[in-house]
Amino acid sequence: MEPVATSGGDGFQVNGAVLLRAGSLIGFGLVIGYFALAAPGFLSVGNITNVLEQSAILGVLSFGMTIVMIAGGSNVVTGGIDLSIANNLGLSAAVYAILLKIGQPDVVALGFTLLTGLGIGLLNAIAVVAIGILPLIATLTVMNICAGFELVITQNTVLQASSPLLAVLAGDGPFGIATLAYLLLIVALVLIVVIQYTPFGLRLYAVGGFREAALAAGVSVDWYIATSYILSGICGSIGAVLSVALLSGSSTGSGDMLLSVVATALLGVVFSRRLVPTISGSLLSVLFIGFLINGFQLTNISSYWVNGVEGLLILFAVATTSLVRRIET
Amino acid sequence: MATDISSATASETVAQWFRRSSALRCTVVLAFLLVFTFLSVKAPGFLSISNFVNILVNNFTILAIVSLGMTLVLLTGGIDLSVGTAMDVGSLLFISLISAHQNFLVAIGGGLLGALATGGFNAVLIGGLRIAPFLATLGTLFIGESVQQLATNGGQPIYLITGTLTPAFGYIGHGTIFGIPFSLCLAVALIVIYYLLTERTSFGRKAVALGANPNVAWYSGARVRCTSGLVYVLSAVTCGAAGIILSATIKAYVPLSGNAYLLDAIGATFIGTTLHSEGRPSVIGTMLGVLLLSIVTNGLLLIGWNFYWQQVGTGVLIFFVLAMSFLGQRLRA
Repeated sequence: MEPVATSGGDGFQVNGAVLLRAGSLIGFGLVIGYFALAAPGFLSVGNITNVLEQSAILGVLSFGMTIVMIAGGSNVVTGGIDLSIANNLGLSAAVYAILLKIGQPDVVALGFTLLTGLGIGLLNAIAVVAIGILPLIATLTVMNICAGFELVITQNTVLQASSPLLAVLAGDGPFGIATLAYLLLIVALVLIVVIQYTPFGLRLYAVGGFREAALAAGVSVDWYIATSYILSGICGSIGAVLSVALLSGSSTGSGDMLLSVVATALLGVVFSRRLVPTISGSLLSVLFIGFLINGFQLTNISSYWVNGVEGLLILFAVATTSLVRRIET
Repeated sequence: MATDISSATASETVAQWFRRSSALRCTVVLAFLLVFTFLSVKAPGFLSISNFVNILVNNFTILAIVSLGMTLVLLTGGIDLSVGTAMDVGSLLFISLISAHQNFLVAIGGGLLGALATGGFNAVLIGGLRIAPFLATLGTLFIGESVQQLATNGGQPIYLITGTLTPAFGYIGHGTIFGIPFSLCLAVALIVIYYLLTERTSFGRKAVALGANPNVAWYSGARVRCTSGLVYVLSAVTCGAAGIILSATIKAYVPLSGNAYLLDAIGATFIGTTLHSEGRPSVIGTMLGVLLLSIVTNGLLLIGWNFYWQQVGTGVLIFFVLAMSFLGQRLRA
């Protein structure tokens, strides 16, 4: 509920945000530089590919979360958030694995998996837009329902799955680089273009940034918010396919990813010029976390530190962001 | 709001009916009665004193205490994602001090102090640095996870050896006052304290004002940052107490076990908001929410649904309760 500044401080505003963005990029660079010196092989093509491959699932989920945050506005309690996305992945992965197990071809299994994600997105959209439940609590209940159904159909076990498509996804693409790494970059590129460079994306930002203004300008606000949840649902099921490929089956405990997804989407804000959620910012923050985990492994630092460092990063990023915003106004 | 002017006419629209009807405001009460009746008929052994005691002790107590803290925080318009962390920290210090043969009261004090520190950290971030509560407590949650993993070598539980425990220790987890389990007595006492705190004190009024409109609260001279920091400290200490009870009951500290209560506490509090005409969290509403969740879990178990279907059933039920009440709010507005 900050008072909206209508004028003034333009010059400094740019400087502050640019400074923060530059600072975070320099921070990113420093971390990579440190690990490059401390861990031989950190900057090898093989290792970078490895990081991209490991980050693919988190990345795709983080993009979905970012889209919802763009359309829902920046307030995390009343604004847009999709807590169901991690369990959506769990349920969709279970659907995919089961359909392959009972002998369905890849096309059918893939179709139903994407439909599962679409359905979950639609349920969120109905709950938020048509019924008017707060996104935080609406997606929380949908998350519980997804978790329940996943348990019912998998009986809380790991389901092995294999198929020609999965073999391709889990293997290497051109130049011996993992297919998942390519997929992460392709999905990111497509979404960057759609969200950041099309009229559709611009309206999405307009809806989240100033709902009343968007309404007055004739944007069908409800439709855009609903679309954001559906896109996020589909991202969840795409993530599921990637996860089945990476782990050669469905896995339990996918819900544990949720907080990391939220964290990376929020952390991505500091990589954008206007301090708003962007797909490119989320990609950078996912890679940042990916390189951090990888660097810890290579330099034999206990992985127990990862969560704490991530937490400190969030706090640091948010503290500096709010500081920059306060100086602006 | 001049909506009450519209009196009942022959051609009453659905929206007008909703506006007049107080039934939807009580969706949670209605849902509660429906579920209760359904389970009484369908679930064998549901309608018995021993089962109710069982529900209150095993399902209700811990979640109720955690939800109290969450209610206070949500009342101020914030959110506390680190309730589980405060529980875990309280439990970790309590069990560690007990297993180091410290005095029983010292261990309780240590546990509560640990939780206090967690809440203090949140308070500094939110009241002092003015970081958004969602992000601040998310950060605390992540840091708490690392701290626990480092302290327990990656998440190894700490078990107490039963023979070495003093009678006082057993009392928290399994003792009774006039036949009522101690943990339940403590929960009831905390509920009364929280009710009085939110409804009858100036601190409670400030918290409500802060949640309703922080700018107006500030202009009215309320010490906004002080209040918004203090609620996180209170929430954390309350959750620390829940953590101590939990670990005293199971005679162990299980790392990262508190997070299981986070989403249920948020859910229960939001179910409770449907009781209030403006959708404000309240202690009584939250307790109804916790009770609803508790009897559903217990009842579905008695009916013979396995754990997996219980989760689906509970999720769908909560979804409908929320849908009804938000739909009602929207039509009334």
